[in-house]
Amino acid sequence: MNSLLGQTNLWEAFDVGRDLFLFSPMIAMVCTMLLIVACPIVIGRGTRTISVAASFGIAVTFFLAWRVMGTVGDAAVSGFSAEPFLGLLVADKLSVGFQLLLMVFLAGVSLLWLMGSARTERNAPEFFILLIGSALGMSLMVSSANLLTMVIAIEMASIPSYAIVGFDKRDRVGAEASLKYMIFGAVCAAIMLYGTSLVYGLVGSLSMTEIAAFTVAQMSGGANVTLLGVALSCVFVGIAFKISAVPFHFWCPDAFQGAKIEVTTWLSVASKAAGLVMLARFMSMMCAAVPSELNMNLLTPLAWVIGVLAAVTATVGNFAAYKQQSVKRMLAYSSIAHAGYMMMATAVFIHPSASGAGAGMSAMLMYIVIYMFMNLCAFGVTAMVSWEAGTDDIEGFNGLIRRSPLLAVPMVIALMSLIGMPPMAGFIGKWWILVALGQTGTLLGWSLVVVASVNTLISLYYYMRIVVQMGIRDSGRRPAFSSPLSGLALVNVCAVVLLVLFFAAGPFKERVAGFSTSLYSVTVTSPVSHESLAVADQEAGQ
Amino acid sequence: MLTIGLTHYLIVAVVLFCAGLYTMMTKRNAIGILIGVELVLNSATVNLVAFDRYLGGQKLDGQITALFVIVLAAAEAAIAVGICINVYSNLGTVDVDRASRLQG
Repeated sequence: MNSLLGQTNLWEAFDVGRDLFLFSPMIAMVCTMLLIVACPIVIGRGTRTISVAASFGIAVTFFLAWRVMGTVGDAAVSGFSAEPFLGLLVADKLSVGFQLLLMVFLAGVSLLWLMGSARTERNAPEFFILLIGSALGMSLMVSSANLLTMVIAIEMASIPSYAIVGFDKRDRVGAEASLKYMIFGAVCAAIMLYGTSLVYGLVGSLSMTEIAAFTVAQMSGGANVTLLGVALSCVFVGIAFKISAVPFHFWCPDAFQGAKIEVTTWLSVASKAAGLVMLARFMSMMCAAVPSELNMNLLTPLAWVIGVLAAVTATVGNFAAYKQQSVKRMLAYSSIAHAGYMMMATAVFIHPSASGAGAGMSAMLMYIVIYMFMNLCAFGVTAMVSWEAGTDDIEGFNGLIRRSPLLAVPMVIALMSLIGMPPMAGFIGKWWILVALGQTGTLLGWSLVVVASVNTLISLYYYMRIVVQMGIRDSGRRPAFSSPLSGLALVNVCAVVLLVLFFAAGPFKERVAGFSTSLYSVTVTSPVSHESLAVADQEAGQ
Repeated sequence: MLTIGLTHYLIVAVVLFCAGLYTMMTKRNAIGILIGVELVLNSATVNLVAFDRYLGGQKLDGQITALFVIVLAAAEAAIAVGICINVYSNLGTVDVDRASRLQG
């Protein structure tokens, strides 16, 4: 049904105009990359020229995503049932909303880069091409509904990321970081591809809809699903690498510490969020394939696997962040912990009530939005402090409250938000995840509530260390310093957003819940076209 | 007479996969690990093409996916070798154990 070339007339199968329109934000990103390639030839490779071209491209992409958002608003066009691109990609509110968010974040990161590394960097075109290239990969990740597009999207996001981590060729630490990231990524991608090939052999299709339907049919029929489980686990390795879930997190602290801080900011949010949305889509497809709500127990083992991994990820991230001296590395471990919290929300999906899935989904999406702002704020301040101090060590924060209050106050807000304290947005993010977990009323849900709460307490210590360093420690010889105005504006706007989102939690949640509906209200209609191995082998032999 | 069937191809793929996995786990040289990765990718390609040939019927999904795998492998190899050259010019080695400045 989803065969790539199996249609009798390919052009009748899909509406080219509509599909191209739904795809237009990504086309705009490709065009931006080409524009940046052309710029050095036609105008020049100055940082200013290139950043104007890049901002133009980002703005156009944002505008197009906004237009597409208007179209996918009605259910007829959005979701899986309409199957644009023959079911390879989907354009629903979730994927388009993620693209909008990604463009905002990309603009923030570009601004940070222009204030910092751009001063000494002469390769602006290459930097922006790699950055936008990985953004394109992440947009594809959240839109993919087929294992083939999933694999391509993950690679499209990863390959520019490897290069951008080691972007400064004279930087030994950066070179080492990119080597570790690349080796780890290549191994995970290879295993994922092997899993994909096994899934194809077992299911006869790479469409997520059909894989889910096949899995559930096999399980309810009492068939042995060990091999399918192994194959899907291999596929999961690739997603877990992107989320940096334990035990696929080893690249994360090294790559994040070795990279330029702007790149760390970008990867810590964008690549993880894209991986999580991808996981969420996968999980909700599996749930949608279960024929009735009562049979949801079939998938309980899957929920346990995700839940336990999430709990371990959060715990490992928090404990490792404990002893770090480099703030960058500490925030890298904290990003692992936060990925763990968000994964917990995806474990809720499998629950015999639509409200459970809906609550988990909207909690995760809210957390992603909030996490983007708090990380941009925390990394922005860390970036400006480390440029001034010449190191990303925690000592650089000494007495920051007196030296630069306009940096210290947003940092406190961001750190409080990362801990999850009211009245910051981080609190409501965590709160809704806990509520969603508790609502399930299952053993898994309640154990995850306990794990998340204990982890929050643990994280209190290392986040507070920075606050203490900024406030109490005497700055001594260190003079006051002024940061670029745009940088101060960036971090302060993020801090204000964090406060506003807390006080506007109700409307915010409603809006986000609207974005997630297309995920958990999916209904699967396509039949499974699978031929058993033995029969097909005989036919082929004849 | 022995007819070559799906099983034979799958055995080749599994052997390739195991060889690749072993290479990835034992080699300490970055290029060596990348060769292991290529072996695993090739085993996936063999799997895809074989499954497509024997189970796919009219579908060509497997063959097309195999083409994509080849392209991905090429793209990844290009970046990977670039990074290895960069590491070599900075550290004087591509031994992953010697790259140990980032730890903890």
